[in-house]
Amino acid sequence: MKYLVLLPEALVVAAAVFVLMSGRLGWLSPGARRSLPALVALVTLVALGIELWAGATLATYFEGGLVQDRFALFAKAAVLLAATIAFVVVDWTAEDSLTIGLAMPLLAVFGVMVAASAGDLVALWAGLEVAAAAAVVMVALRRPDLALRLLVTGGVASGLLLIGLAFLYASAGTSSLSMLRVDFLGGAPTIALAIPVFLVMSGLAARAALAPFQLASIPASLGASPLGAGLVLGLVAAAAATVAIKLVGALAPIPAVYSTYLEVIAAFAMVAGGAAALASHSPRVRLAYLATGQIGWVAAGLVTHYRSGLAGSLFLLGAFVVAATCGPAVMGRAEGGEQALAGMGVLRPGRAAGLSLAMLSLAGAPPLAGFFGEFAVAASLAQSGHFALLTLGVFGTALSLAAVAGTMRVMYIQSPPDEARRTTRLPVLTGLSSFGAVAFCVVIAVYGIFSSPILGLADQGAEALGLK
Amino acid sequence: MIWQFIAAQSPSPTPAPTVPGAGIFSTSLLLSITVWVPVVVAIAIATMPNPRGRYDALIKQIAFFTNLGLLFVLGIAYNQFQSFLPTLQYEEKVTWLQSVGAVYHLGVDGPGMTMLLLSGGIGIVSVLASLGVRERVRSYFCLLLLAQASVNGAIVARDMFVLILFWGASAVPLALLVLGWGGQRRHQATWRLLGYWGVGTAALILGTMVLYSAAGGASFDMDVLLKATLSPRVQLAVGSLMVVAAATRLPLFPLHGWARDVYSEAPVGVTVIVAGSASRLGAYLLLRTLVAAEPVAAHLLAPLLAALAALTVGYGALVAMRHHDIRQASAYLALIPGGVTVLALAALQPISIAGAVLSLFAGGLAAALIVSVCATLSERAQSRSLHVLAGLAPRMPILTWLMVLAGLAVLGVPLLATFTSNLLTFFGSFKTQPIGAFAVAAGLALGAIALASLWRRVLFSAPNPDAPGVSDASLGETWYLGLLAGGLLWVGLFPSGPKLPGTDSPLFDQGLVNVLSAGISDIASPYVLPTPGPGQ
Repeated sequence: MKYLVLLPEALVVAAAVFVLMSGRLGWLSPGARRSLPALVALVTLVALGIELWAGATLATYFEGGLVQDRFALFAKAAVLLAATIAFVVVDWTAEDSLTIGLAMPLLAVFGVMVAASAGDLVALWAGLEVAAAAAVVMVALRRPDLALRLLVTGGVASGLLLIGLAFLYASAGTSSLSMLRVDFLGGAPTIALAIPVFLVMSGLAARAALAPFQLASIPASLGASPLGAGLVLGLVAAAAATVAIKLVGALAPIPAVYSTYLEVIAAFAMVAGGAAALASHSPRVRLAYLATGQIGWVAAGLVTHYRSGLAGSLFLLGAFVVAATCGPAVMGRAEGGEQALAGMGVLRPGRAAGLSLAMLSLAGAPPLAGFFGEFAVAASLAQSGHFALLTLGVFGTALSLAAVAGTMRVMYIQSPPDEARRTTRLPVLTGLSSFGAVAFCVVIAVYGIFSSPILGLADQGAEALGLK
Repeated sequence: MIWQFIAAQSPSPTPAPTVPGAGIFSTSLLLSITVWVPVVVAIAIATMPNPRGRYDALIKQIAFFTNLGLLFVLGIAYNQFQSFLPTLQYEEKVTWLQSVGAVYHLGVDGPGMTMLLLSGGIGIVSVLASLGVRERVRSYFCLLLLAQASVNGAIVARDMFVLILFWGASAVPLALLVLGWGGQRRHQATWRLLGYWGVGTAALILGTMVLYSAAGGASFDMDVLLKATLSPRVQLAVGSLMVVAAATRLPLFPLHGWARDVYSEAPVGVTVIVAGSASRLGAYLLLRTLVAAEPVAAHLLAPLLAALAALTVGYGALVAMRHHDIRQASAYLALIPGGVTVLALAALQPISIAGAVLSLFAGGLAAALIVSVCATLSERAQSRSLHVLAGLAPRMPILTWLMVLAGLAVLGVPLLATFTSNLLTFFGSFKTQPIGAFAVAAGLALGAIALASLWRRVLFSAPNPDAPGVSDASLGETWYLGLLAGGLLWVGLFPSGPKLPGTDSPLFDQGLVNVLSAGISDIASPYVLPTPGPGQ
């Protein structure tokens, strides 16, 4: 029973390897290839089911390298859900490669799962790097130049992260997160500790596409295929945020070493994300900046260094990863300006509804999942007295909402142009993708409706990190 | 024998008067029905097949009968409402987000019931006013129902989280309605609406968070937040933020920037719902979160509120006088009832607070009537320009009557509901805010001049031979405008409710003034001087 908990990870990795090998060696007939996305989605769905069923077991593996607790359960369930829907909803005719397009998100999911259940600094770093490497591969399929840029920037981020983590290890004499926390209890914030934490947070901010570090992630997401964009914006950012939450849990006894820096990053991301989304007229760009704004809210929850704040961040991370991963997939190949989506509400009602809900949730519109998460974070900011950050966050959300209204106008109110004049084709309609669009809408709505038990689980997740 | 004597002398409980219809409808989900039924119907409409608009007429009927049903339910709820009871009624309370302290808590007292009735009436009028919509009928009525649901939700919310949820949610469908079905300047109108209402929502969230933090950070329930003992500094901070939130929604000068464009560019049905019920939420918020909860801040901010009220009324009247577009002029005239409501709140007297609640209802109807009658008139006369519209009274007798009635309602003349509310307002405000009350009265005089000028030019001057052809209101238009006018007349003639001749039994209802009394005493208690005891 103890090792059953690791079965979801095993299933995900096995599916990724199988898909890659089958693509390389040509194992699959054309008919089997057509049903491969549904099959992979089924595997991730089964993994999700096992995670929810067996994941409540509390256990440690590999001498503390991996830990199964409520936090791991929440984060792993969220990414598995996001990946399942993304595989179903995506328009595969807009993707560059079926097998790589399936395998890389699976590897990214595996990376987030490793980071979520990491018991030490090494596993944290390894999980994040696996997810980031998968994103580089996905981007390289269509835009090698942007992939190179992502690789270089990611390399710098990884370097910052490694140096910072090494210094942390040197300061505490241990790489175990639980031991780090014990070591820091009663400790004083020092420059020697603040500098490595600054490096770690900078590296994570770059990975999460938090402003002002979006030099590579956002351009890369714009050049990638829809699923690739979802991978960069959603899964990699979720991996970085997961690492950040776990590190903040360990560093919570000395919040002074990170809270000011996180506060600045969060404020900038929330406001700049909303403003950039409003200024943009491309739906893909708008979605990317909305995601930046919301990941800023996740960072804002960490500033509080209270359990309720981390629980709010974790809850919001779940809503974020579903919307940010699936949003580009629902949108399909809508490159260019807003006109690419004109009349989508009439021609592709399911997808239009899905895209609207994804954007509204990322913007924090009531009563969707993102709103509940942002509100939980806002409540914890109020509890901890961070009113300036709260004000900026609310302002950023207002900007984001105004931006989403523009896209919804084009989708629902603007008449569809003649197909001959349309510069970008709308997503191809298949039974699977239509089902996926409806399922996505249901998940976003249900996440909000059942926010109480989900937030309760997130609260248990924050408690598992040792926060009271 | 002695026991019989004692029993005969003992006061026996007076049986409650039998209200026709009482006890036939009893459910603890009544308020949830008013909120969620429109949402469910909107989802049903959105998902039903409608090839090439084949079922457009059916969609309109569904929206109409949904609103009719809701109005029926509200009518029964109103009839069964326990007047003079200072507690919440039809209360629903379910634990929701336990970790942040949010509860799904709904309930109404007198002011809430009054607002709910207003929203129900406005809902059916807005559907009737929208029957002429031809384009994207399904989307239009879905959004209209969602807007109504969110307004109802904001009215009945007894948890600040739930209030924020519905307050914020109401902006989205209304903005999309303006954007999709508005006039030529609809883009500007939409962005202004979103901008101002966004600022208001942000202020509401911040005010709530300050309140939440100061009250211990354990609950968003109004029973906890609005009854917490707060320092004057915190009260002032919260109160100021609530004033900003209310001023953007009502609207009040200088945060009224959206009103001109939205009232003049939105389709008539949307204008009715914005002017009639959605914007009244601003004053309702002030009543709930400032007047009823923060007595120190209310006292400190009362002169500011009175000044804002006077500026709003005066500015609205003056600009209406100078405008050459009838819809824009009516938009400025529609600011006047809101200004009067805020003056009533600023007076902080039990009588004026009662006036404020009645003014929410009457002012909503008056604002909705003036903007909708001017919109209908401009459509029927094929022009909005006051240089073109002239001498229409002989050719538009129905609209002439309705326009005159709308103007009189804005001013608050006897026999109309606004008269009663204005009377209560001025009785209270001349006592505590004499300068503000005098300024508002002067503003109303300016409004009278603006209206007289408008009537003379549009209705009673010499006809313009170059004007395009005109026609009077259709039967449908007469119906929805007549309902608004009828509401004003009904409450104006029978504010305490008509009685059966020779008895105390209510004929149809228990009277709006009686209903709004339930809870008013609770709200007004900090502003009533304690009665000296016999030993003092």
